[in-house]
Amino acid sequence: MKLNINKKGQAKLIPGYIVILIWVIFTFMLIGWVVFASFSTSLEIFSDEMFEFATGFHFENYVKAWNTQKVSVFFMNSLLYTTVSCFCVIMLSAPAAYVLSRFKFKGNAIIQNLIVSAMGIPVIMIVMPLFGLVTKLKLSNNRFLIMYLYVAITLPFTIFFLLSFFKSLSSTYEEAAYIDGCSPMRTFWQIMLPLVQPGIITVTIFNFITIWNEYFMSLIFANKPKVRPVAVGLFNMIQSMRYTGDWGGMFASVVIVFLPTFVLYIFLSKRIIQGVTSGAIKG
Amino acid sequence: MKKNRSMIIIFLVPAVFCYLSVFFYPSVRTTFMSFYAIEGVADSFSTWDFNGIANYLKLFKTPIFKQAMSNIFLLWFVGGLGVMAVALIFAITLTSGLNGAKFFRSVIYLPNVVSAVAMGTMWINYVFNTNYGILHRIFTALRIESLASVLWTGPGTLFWSMLVAYCFGMVGYHMLIFMASIEQVPRSYHEAAKIEGANIFQRFIHVTLPFLRGCFRTNIVMWTVFTVNFFVWGQLFSPVNLSNDTVAPMNYMYEIVFGASSNSMVARDSGAGASIGVIMMIIVIIAFGLTNFIVKNDDVQL
Repeated sequence: MKLNINKKGQAKLIPGYIVILIWVIFTFMLIGWVVFASFSTSLEIFSDEMFEFATGFHFENYVKAWNTQKVSVFFMNSLLYTTVSCFCVIMLSAPAAYVLSRFKFKGNAIIQNLIVSAMGIPVIMIVMPLFGLVTKLKLSNNRFLIMYLYVAITLPFTIFFLLSFFKSLSSTYEEAAYIDGCSPMRTFWQIMLPLVQPGIITVTIFNFITIWNEYFMSLIFANKPKVRPVAVGLFNMIQSMRYTGDWGGMFASVVIVFLPTFVLYIFLSKRIIQGVTSGAIKG
Repeated sequence: MKKNRSMIIIFLVPAVFCYLSVFFYPSVRTTFMSFYAIEGVADSFSTWDFNGIANYLKLFKTPIFKQAMSNIFLLWFVGGLGVMAVALIFAITLTSGLNGAKFFRSVIYLPNVVSAVAMGTMWINYVFNTNYGILHRIFTALRIESLASVLWTGPGTLFWSMLVAYCFGMVGYHMLIFMASIEQVPRSYHEAAKIEGANIFQRFIHVTLPFLRGCFRTNIVMWTVFTVNFFVWGQLFSPVNLSNDTVAPMNYMYEIVFGASSNSMVARDSGAGASIGVIMMIIVIIAFGLTNFIVKNDDVQL
């Protein structure tokens, strides 16, 4: 009986189902095409004979992109910025989120509200004074400054996300630790922090994706090729390769740039999706 | 308690410092800047010249800024309607127990994790290409010559092409938020409605929809935040100079503050740039206030 109702209900969903199928196939075509194109020559891409691979797979597109087009530089920059920032933002946010979720003190609610509202501040609202400050301190194109900015822009979301994790922990852990003579600080590092590990992992994946793909801040604060991260680097490469006509190399660069977050997503999509929904519902 | 106090301070100070230096201080300073005539973005306070709301008045007399505002309004309104409608339909379909729903959900969200520069390149060079692009091929196969020969990234169609490409990637995020709320509707409500003879559409309108008010708010606020931060796609679709088809307030601000594009026809004007920032901030606040007001007395806590 129940099965019947379900089937009847599903019949009405067929249009939705078809659209979803087309949508998914289209997504695969987009990504698949760029991967195929990255193994072809410019001539093959334009003559519509790309999928025949008459001249074989052109792995040299990747070698060329990696070496001569400086993808390696951007890639390594991004890898450095992303890992360091992801680590630092947890080191800053976790203690703050813990204190905000656990202790009653004057200004607690205000701090929480201010931090949450920072998620709605458009980046153009903050970028000009920051640029002025950075110029004055002669810090433009400084790697530490770039990482500091990445930490700062991911901080509000990280604190907001970890707050709910700490709130859900029972205070019996702290009581037990207190009775055993463990100081509050040690309790945090050794007992409470490991308990929110799932939250830390999820939010770190998010931060990784955000920082890897970050564009506007990098455009303004990392404008020398030596310190450029991938998103801005890729944009510049695409513009220059349009003129040189190296389409295979351009698509190889595109693949190299999106591969890290793409692979991360393939393995961790369940976690990422849980993160989006849990973060959104509580907001 | 005294021990706790020092711990509170030690744990909070780094994060609060970060917040104050990157969010609080710049926001306040930008607000001040918007009321002064300032040429260079790094100019010191002593060179600022107070001129009231002249920056704002000037902006609304500048054709390209008006164009930018109308572009993001269209993007917000038309794109928003499209994205929300598709996201909602997908969410309903995927939460009704389809086979492979989890897989489809993951694929639909996928564009959100890929760099916008990479996504934009795929759209421009594959979907919209007039020699070998998907659209060209499909319309050629269907023998609709008039559509097969359309220059999708040409003047006139460029804005709509960009809008479609941008919105395509945004559906996944909003769909996930809808799905999460739909999944929170207790099963028993649906069962009861089914027994009473409500069909799938009636069940949606009377059972599911009331639960979705909270997530409509989230979706609208987030959509507004994304829209005011619209920048990369405009740059991707018009990489060299500002074009009326793709300009967004942020692109214009980048041009008049950082003056990066190849033509130096636009004078540097950081005061006006700050005003654009303030206007964008106000848009977000309005969206937040309005949606809060609409769902204020909502007994369904999501």
